[in-house]
Amino acid sequence: MKAFPWASGAALGVLALAAPLMLERGTLNDVWSLAFAVVLASAWNLLGGFAGQVSLGYSAFLGIGAYATVLLSLRGMNPFLTLPLGAALAAAFSVLVGLPAFRLRGPYFTIATIGVGEVVRVCASSVSFTGGSSGLRMPPGSFDFTLNYLSMATLAIAVVALAAFVKRSAFGQALAAIRQDIDAAEALGIDSTRFKLAAHALSAALVAVAGGLYAINFQYIAPGSVFDFRLSLSIVLMPIVGGVGTIAGPVLGALVFSTLQVKLLSIPALRDSYLFLYGTLLIVVMLFEPKGILGLLRRFFDRRLRRFYADA
Amino acid sequence: MPMPEPILSVRALKKRFGGLLALSDVTFSVTEGEIYGVIGPNGAGKTTLFSCLVGSLPPTSGSIRFQGREIAGLPNYAVVARGLVRTHQIPRPFREMTVEANVSIGAHFGAGQRRGADARRRVAEILERTGLGARTGSLAMALPIGDLKRLEIARALATEPAVLCLDEVMGGLNPSEIVAAMSLVRAIRDSGLTVLMIEHHVHAVAGVTDRILVLNFGEMIAEGVPREVLRNPEVVAAYLGDDAGAA
Repeated sequence: MKAFPWASGAALGVLALAAPLMLERGTLNDVWSLAFAVVLASAWNLLGGFAGQVSLGYSAFLGIGAYATVLLSLRGMNPFLTLPLGAALAAAFSVLVGLPAFRLRGPYFTIATIGVGEVVRVCASSVSFTGGSSGLRMPPGSFDFTLNYLSMATLAIAVVALAAFVKRSAFGQALAAIRQDIDAAEALGIDSTRFKLAAHALSAALVAVAGGLYAINFQYIAPGSVFDFRLSLSIVLMPIVGGVGTIAGPVLGALVFSTLQVKLLSIPALRDSYLFLYGTLLIVVMLFEPKGILGLLRRFFDRRLRRFYADA
Repeated sequence: MPMPEPILSVRALKKRFGGLLALSDVTFSVTEGEIYGVIGPNGAGKTTLFSCLVGSLPPTSGSIRFQGREIAGLPNYAVVARGLVRTHQIPRPFREMTVEANVSIGAHFGAGQRRGADARRRVAEILERTGLGARTGSLAMALPIGDLKRLEIARALATEPAVLCLDEVMGGLNPSEIVAAMSLVRAIRDSGLTVLMIEHHVHAVAGVTDRILVLNFGEMIAEGVPREVLRNPEVVAAYLGDDAGAA
């Protein structure tokens, strides 16, 4: 029974990588969006889920990754080689932000991160080298969607595998201790600030790589698209709706959100209603199943199993 | 006979919360291998003293020397890394973890920094010693109060301290559990640790400690061998009120 999540995860991974052989371009595009959402949700979950530090500023890291890729590509670098640089930049920025912000706890930390995301967006739209509010275009070059797709799918698989590895490691154990009782964690020798900074940097770097791949795929970025506060909000809502602090939860949440987004965007009248829908979903989850869709599934299957054994 | 170098020595320790002086000029030394009690009525500053010792609260002024080095003002985790750890009066387990996982946090991140099989062996040994062997796989949230108190001690022991500060581990226990807790404290000392303990239960503390310190309103009012200190009129007055002391 323990092997089941690993086997199903591996099967999904293989399917995702083989998808270009089976799906047409339009559908593959939707799967790209799903993989993108999986990366954002699972990476956010490293800090927000495992360590319980709910940040609403993740669009900053996505934007840093996207801008690093475009700006460096415009100076002649291979777009894919810019990804580690964007990741390093986002990780460094996450430490800079985390040092003061992690002195705050609970909702105060969350509020501080909203400020950080907004400051970064305003800066990006007001300085000239980022192209201001009109944004930047990637240099013309070879655009290979299959390559873009495979990159994002590989990243999604890597992030989910990394999350599973972290959760079982001593590092993940320290994050769980910090989430459950930060003072008790410190009283047993855990340097909570150092662990929070490490989780923040790791997840920021992963989100920045996704941002770089976003820029490579869409060829055009603007503060309104990559630094959007609604994006930060979606990044938080996906893992919470799916099942916060778990491995499969953020994947499920990403699946629900990217499906909703694709469906809603195709109906013009409902195009702007997705935030309303997200909000409703969040309230429903909070009220009825704080462990998200995954918690709901577990409850359902536990009952089925119990009935099965009662009958047998 | 020359006095051995104290393992912990506190000089003129002061802690102020706004207008309240929670600790004023507290000075004492603890010798290696000693069981040293801290008693006093509610609000005397006992827990504040422990918080300042381990660094979960920064002292306002004063010096804390542990194994010859100044530790006042160090953060809590750094003090644990040097081998000084405390338990909490109200147990603070990681509720969603098993008993074993709770204890392994101490083994992984305390002064020992053990990993893998080495940590698991150490954790199993401590669980056995503290009487939690049968609860290894239980979630901490499912434990009764007696086991939670033992879990506090087990987690602290897993950090491999030289000095263990126990904050009212006998509070809320029944008489037979208190007897078991007293022998556990002695066994911990006999294994080579130095123990500081806050205790409300005067008979328990008199039965197990070598020396005691009495605090009242943040000030030291007596220190010495339990039998003598507990007969001190000032101590009796602090516990029972002035009328009883005069009577």
